[in-house]
Amino acid sequence: MGSTPVSTESTTVVRLGRQRARDYRARTRPVWMEKPSFAMQGLKGLVLLLVCVAVIYPFLVVIGTSLSTQQEIAANNGFVLIPMHPTLEAYRTILSGGIVTEALFRSIGITLVGTALSVTLTVMMAYGLSRRIMGGNFFLMTALLTMLFSPGIIPTFLVVKELGLLGTFAALILPTALSAFNLIIIRSFFMNVPSELVEAARLDGAGDIRILWNVMLPLSKAVIAVIGLFYAVGYWNMFFNAMLYVDSDKWPLAMVLRQYVLLGSSIDANTGAEIAAPSQAIQMAVVVISLVPILSVYPFLQKYFTKGVLTGAVKG
Amino acid sequence: MSIREIATDRRTFLKYVGFGALSVAAVGSLAGCGTRTELKASGAGSVKMPTFLASEGLTPDLKGTAEGVPSAFFNYPKNPVRSVKTPPLKGETFSAITNIFGPPPNGRDKNPAWQEIEKRLGGKLDITAVSADDFATKINTTLAGNDIPDMILDDGASIPDIIGFLQAKCQDLTKFLSGDAVKDYPNLAAIPSLYWEQTVRDGKIYALPIPRGGTAGLGFYNAKRYADVGVTDTSKIKDADEYLSIMKELTDAKANRWAFGSTSYGLATFFQLFGVPNQWREEKGKMTFQIETDEYLEAISFVAKAAKAGYIMPGSDGWTKSQMVNAFTNGQVAQIYDGLPGYFKADGYAVTVPDSAPFLPFAAGGGKPQANLDNIVFATTMIKKNDDASVKKLLGIANLLAAPFGTEEYLLINYGVEGADYTRDGNGNPVPTANALADTTVPWRYLTAPAPALYLPGHDDVIRKTHEAYAAMIPLGVANPAATLFSPTDASKGNTIRQPVSDATQDYISGRKTLDDVKAAIKAWKSAGGDAIRKEYEKALKA
Repeated sequence: MGSTPVSTESTTVVRLGRQRARDYRARTRPVWMEKPSFAMQGLKGLVLLLVCVAVIYPFLVVIGTSLSTQQEIAANNGFVLIPMHPTLEAYRTILSGGIVTEALFRSIGITLVGTALSVTLTVMMAYGLSRRIMGGNFFLMTALLTMLFSPGIIPTFLVVKELGLLGTFAALILPTALSAFNLIIIRSFFMNVPSELVEAARLDGAGDIRILWNVMLPLSKAVIAVIGLFYAVGYWNMFFNAMLYVDSDKWPLAMVLRQYVLLGSSIDANTGAEIAAPSQAIQMAVVVISLVPILSVYPFLQKYFTKGVLTGAVKG
Repeated sequence: MSIREIATDRRTFLKYVGFGALSVAAVGSLAGCGTRTELKASGAGSVKMPTFLASEGLTPDLKGTAEGVPSAFFNYPKNPVRSVKTPPLKGETFSAITNIFGPPPNGRDKNPAWQEIEKRLGGKLDITAVSADDFATKINTTLAGNDIPDMILDDGASIPDIIGFLQAKCQDLTKFLSGDAVKDYPNLAAIPSLYWEQTVRDGKIYALPIPRGGTAGLGFYNAKRYADVGVTDTSKIKDADEYLSIMKELTDAKANRWAFGSTSYGLATFFQLFGVPNQWREEKGKMTFQIETDEYLEAISFVAKAAKAGYIMPGSDGWTKSQMVNAFTNGQVAQIYDGLPGYFKADGYAVTVPDSAPFLPFAAGGGKPQANLDNIVFATTMIKKNDDASVKKLLGIANLLAAPFGTEEYLLINYGVEGADYTRDGNGNPVPTANALADTTVPWRYLTAPAPALYLPGHDDVIRKTHEAYAAMIPLGVANPAATLFSPTDASKGNTIRQPVSDATQDYISGRKTLDDVKAAIKAWKSAGGDAIRKEYEKALKA
């Protein structure tokens, strides 16, 4: 069964004639589906261009400043768009000692492992909480509710310490491995998946693991990609836990970057004079290095945000 | 006061950042919890200072003084002596927590300088180090976990009930260091009394000093631009009116040139010019806070007048350090306020702004010129309570780290290992290699350090200028009489009640409020706790 879809467009043209068909469509079509005039297209283009400039300009200034000499930076009040005498000296300085490079690799490792672990734990727990169990989910949901509130710095520190995680990379991943907020988002998504899909899978003999893997996950790529990106950015930018739990030999890139930035903004005359503020070129170079990995990954995840959820899996 | 106005005194600066809430919660298990009422005097006169024994064998090119002017050297001795011949440890591992400035160092495994220092120590020192901004959070969470390191930096602000903490958890070092007892540690004995006085709390020597230059100075000026308007020595400026006219001549807004520009108006410069007390003034047992004095109102009125006349670069009160450095470097402003240590570095103002010079004080309000002794120590280092043998070993570590200029240990700590981190030029001076920075930023000198020496190879003129500046300012030095006293009210809410005064001052200078508003804020400070703080300090003085 099934029929070839009939084009309403051709039907309208046949019934009314071409011109009258156009007028009919104009009256019945929503405004946003109207083809804009040339002037309106120009205005839209201009607005989009301004938005792009507002977003891209700071990036260009950061890159331009990182390639400038300190004299040029000082002459331009700290920000250079197009350096007259570009130099890679700032990059040479920060990459030569190996500190920033090592921190970069640490950040990549923490982000990859942390994101994988967080997404796995979140998806599994969200699936479990999305299923109805005998006795209801009351106690589990109450426990989940408490996870929405932070226990505070010191209680968390004491737990990490008692677990023997201080000074380890695990301290940078485990305390923030599961976000209750992200858990609720995925749980809600799982609960909105039609029950017919799950029942169909159960009738075929699938258990919960198979249902999760073969039914839920393929339908949830978009939301899991978004949650994964949230986790990845969180791990990438993390510095506070690094400051609390590990020593400088395990600092991720964000913490190293913070050291450079703090020196440039220190306003205590004595503390700030313990070491001269690093060249702004160096500060901007560290910013560029920390941005590159995230900017490289993001375009590959973007496509998942616009994909559809259901792809005609229900038949009958 | 806001953190921006009290930029000259590190301890006071950090107090005013206001880490009180976290700190109180964190050390709740310790004595006091910020509600200590038992006060004891902790002025230096209550305990015998360690005997001073000057280092021998080295003749400075420019002599220092007992008052605190540092000695200066143009070259490093070609054959440095080894000051600690026997390692103080026998394989033990101790721990420390302190500040770090700049990027983190190479880890111990890849750091030849770190390995060599520990070889000379005869054991290991596990150092946990974070920036000054993060230190309060880090130290208080560490202490809350009851995991107290053996050596703990006391920056003067991060632990609110410092007396309670010292009494409960820290070693009284008096018997180990007072008088001739310090002779067991010759490098510590070479630190003058001026610095040891800052370590006295509750009538005991409770810490080790981390000496610095004594005064942070009054900032820097562009000597060429000042010479263009006929001023070659700022100490010769007669009074405030002449200074204002000089500022007028230095200002040309159309040419993007101003006389002055600094974060929060660089008020520390003007406070010293007008004789405002270095935090507190003590006269016959009576304490007066700086904001209560006529000199304070004169100073801020002068700044307001200069700002209104357009001599201070608009917007400069909100600058970051980098913005201030840029403006001074490119000549937009002829004078800034920054600490004197920022001048005397390989990448300091002396090198990056060759026309710059330290601003020497004159008496804008009449009387004697003044320079605040607000940079005597960077901080101090406490030692955890322990058996005598362990304390002696920790003092042995400190003794090595305090090796004075001219020794092998000083060269190792500051420049690293010869070959890997530096080579020597024809005069014996170390020339850093590419690896030097990554190996030498281990924060040894933020645990303890020797008395400062001025040394910057290849920059004899900078050394001379800096030495002249210290020689001019140290004799004019004014100390803070409350520096080693404790006030529970100041510890618990000093920052909070001072903030409105600071805000009113900034607003007045910017033209948004009147002087009467500032006076009203000062009056409110008194009733909100200022009078209580005064009484507590006066009681501590008498105790």
